[in-house]
Amino acid sequence: MSKLKTSKFGLGLAAGAMALGLSTAGIAAEHASGFNGIGKNITDKAIEPWDISVFYDGTNLPKGSGSVADGEQPYQAQCAMCHGDFGEGAEGYPKMAGDPMPQFINSLKQGLDGVGNRGVNNAWGHAPTLFDMIKRHMPFYAPGTMGVDESYAVTCYVLNLGGIVDMDFTCSDETLADVEMPSAEYFVTDTRPDTNNQRCMSDCTDEEPEVVYSAVEGVSG
Amino acid sequence: MSETTLDQTPQSDAREGVASSDRRKFLRKSVALAATGAAAAAAGNAYGDVDLETVKEPLEDGPTRNILGRGVVSVPYGMPSKFEKDVVRRNVSWLTADTVASISFTPWQDLNGIITPNGLHFERHHAGAVDVDPETHQLVIHGMVDKPMIFSMDDLKRMPSHTAIHFLECPANGAMEWRGVQMDSMQFTHGMMSCSEWTGVKLTDLMEYVGVDPKSTWLYAEGTDGSALQRSIPMEGAKDQFGEPLPADSCEMYKDAMIAYAQNGEALRPENGYPIRFLLPGCEANMSIKWLRRIKFVDKPLVTYQETRHYIEPLPDGTIRQFTLVNEANSVINYPCPDYQMKGKGAYEIRGIAWSGRGKVAHVDVSVDGGKNWQEAELVEPVLSKCVTKFKLPFEWKGDEHLIMSRVTDETGYVQPTLMQLRKVRGFNSIYHKNSIQAWKIEKTGEVKNVQIENF
Ligand code: HEC
Repeated sequence: MSKLKTSKFGLGLAAGAMALGLSTAGIAAEHASGFNGIGKNITDKAIEPWDISVFYDGTNLPKGSGSVADGEQPYQAQCAMCHGDFGEGAEGYPKMAGDPMPQFINSLKQGLDGVGNRGVNNAWGHAPTLFDMIKRHMPFYAPGTMGVDESYAVTCYVLNLGGIVDMDFTCSDETLADVEMPSAEYFVTDTRPDTNNQRCMSDCTDEEPEVVYSAVEGVSG
Repeated sequence: MSETTLDQTPQSDAREGVASSDRRKFLRKSVALAATGAAAAAAGNAYGDVDLETVKEPLEDGPTRNILGRGVVSVPYGMPSKFEKDVVRRNVSWLTADTVASISFTPWQDLNGIITPNGLHFERHHAGAVDVDPETHQLVIHGMVDKPMIFSMDDLKRMPSHTAIHFLECPANGAMEWRGVQMDSMQFTHGMMSCSEWTGVKLTDLMEYVGVDPKSTWLYAEGTDGSALQRSIPMEGAKDQFGEPLPADSCEMYKDAMIAYAQNGEALRPENGYPIRFLLPGCEANMSIKWLRRIKFVDKPLVTYQETRHYIEPLPDGTIRQFTLVNEANSVINYPCPDYQMKGKGAYEIRGIAWSGRGKVAHVDVSVDGGKNWQEAELVEPVLSKCVTKFKLPFEWKGDEHLIMSRVTDETGYVQPTLMQLRKVRGFNSIYHKNSIQAWKIEKTGEVKNVQIENF
């Protein structure tokens, strides 16, 4: 009967079941959480090795540092084969440095193709994000294997390739959040819906449709 | 008698038997033809004006008639017929340098329902699909909570379960068509979207259990693959890194979220996040973190690599739009489509799929004259929130050229835009969320082509 006492919600059902000699005390009534006894508590200390995410403003950057100069050797050894000696990209892998900001914005305004020209100097709003990404995801063939100082160093080197920090700069948990990214002020949050089509059913246009076909056959696949 | 009055007694066919049913179909057809002003039935075909061939050779048994087939469990996990070998996911080799950080497409041109079979769900990986052992995998929930907790896969299965059918769509769906027509298959114009029945634990139930601080306005989710992919997810009161509020609808999306362990009744596939993934219906699928290992409740966005470098929209006014999270309504005709030729004149059924990240599909209209006139299509049940809805409309092909297209309106009243309307506000470099009306051109030869209409 001790089961009955611990069940806050099952009394009505249980009373009926007692007559049958069965216990239905385990059947939770509708307001029970359905979570009783499930899972384990965990301390922040135990979570720490997984708690790696760095915020845009530098919150949670790990202690450490690395300069542009420190980053040259590891960048050339572990990164350049995919991202190019000067960050220009190689074998179809992404560029580190894209179009400089004024040119990037000009392409947008003129409708020129700027899609392949993104890089740390135009689409990355915050330097701590770059550290976070490189530390967790690069080098591509062995993600997450670089140490903290080495990650600061290659981050610094990549920032220098993008013309964002000088040769003598040192990246660290104290300096990275203050690095001014060229694109930071251009970001705006979702402004959609930005179209307003109408549900017209008949005689919706007088114009003959101008139909454009695929310029190249067989680009699929 | 109108078609509508005939439709009001759908049950009677079965009860009245074959002869009557045939007569009924004949009546219905005549009405439809008369309504479209078509010629009366030609000799040799009681149903319309297209002459039918007549088979005179006596039929022969096929090659399977006199042999034994395979025994049960000869294929312990069943596979499609060998004749369906071309119904597969495909990728576009020139899109990415590596298949390990890449995308594949669902062949919607070959699907007939709203559910994507698990082996055909589109894939998007940033460091490849991994095999995570459910015996050792754990999920941590922490941050602004009363009780930081850790759960095994068995723990998650004990919890109250939640099942719902939802689509997942990569915001890059259609991206290759922003600047002009490129792809000659529907798989590549619309295949970065799939729809499944998902089962898991509701995020809001877990939030109650761990006691999330009401001051928490964001959470983020993280995977255990090589990219340790992470995305920030807004809740009520969420503000961006500059203090600007996020749109109210994107702050409600988490209410439908779940920690999913099953997909169409079976365990998730490794490519889709086995053993557990975050599932955020209505939002760009990149947020539905696969191989989920951690959820943290916080009061600001991370602004991750994905949120600043990838899923942004550089606009012609010189701004870069961020946090465009919701997938707006979209639709496409998947029969006929460029993957097929028309097979002779006469009757067809135009069929397609429509979906909206903001809720249910309310209407789908179809045009066969390039957008001058539209007719409302029939929506096929079930019509569910943030789920693919199938639509259909009868069509008589007389061998003429047609520009066919579909246009969805969702329950919020949002009407799918034209490509010109999208380009006018977003230019050519925004890449993502291209949900414009898709036109296919039926040529006189019966060929079906992917086209764009450049003037409206
Ligand atoms: C084997 C090829 C390869 C190597 C080596 C490599 N990367 Fe990458 N890198 C990639 C791929 C692929 C991506 C895109 C990943 C994705 O899609 O999420 C990428 C993305 C990046 C990005 C984001 C670029 C952008 O689009 O703005 C940065 C920064 C980066 N890598 C830095 C590094 C650094 C630093 C190293 C060396 C420690 C490195 N990478 C080594 C393949 C590589």
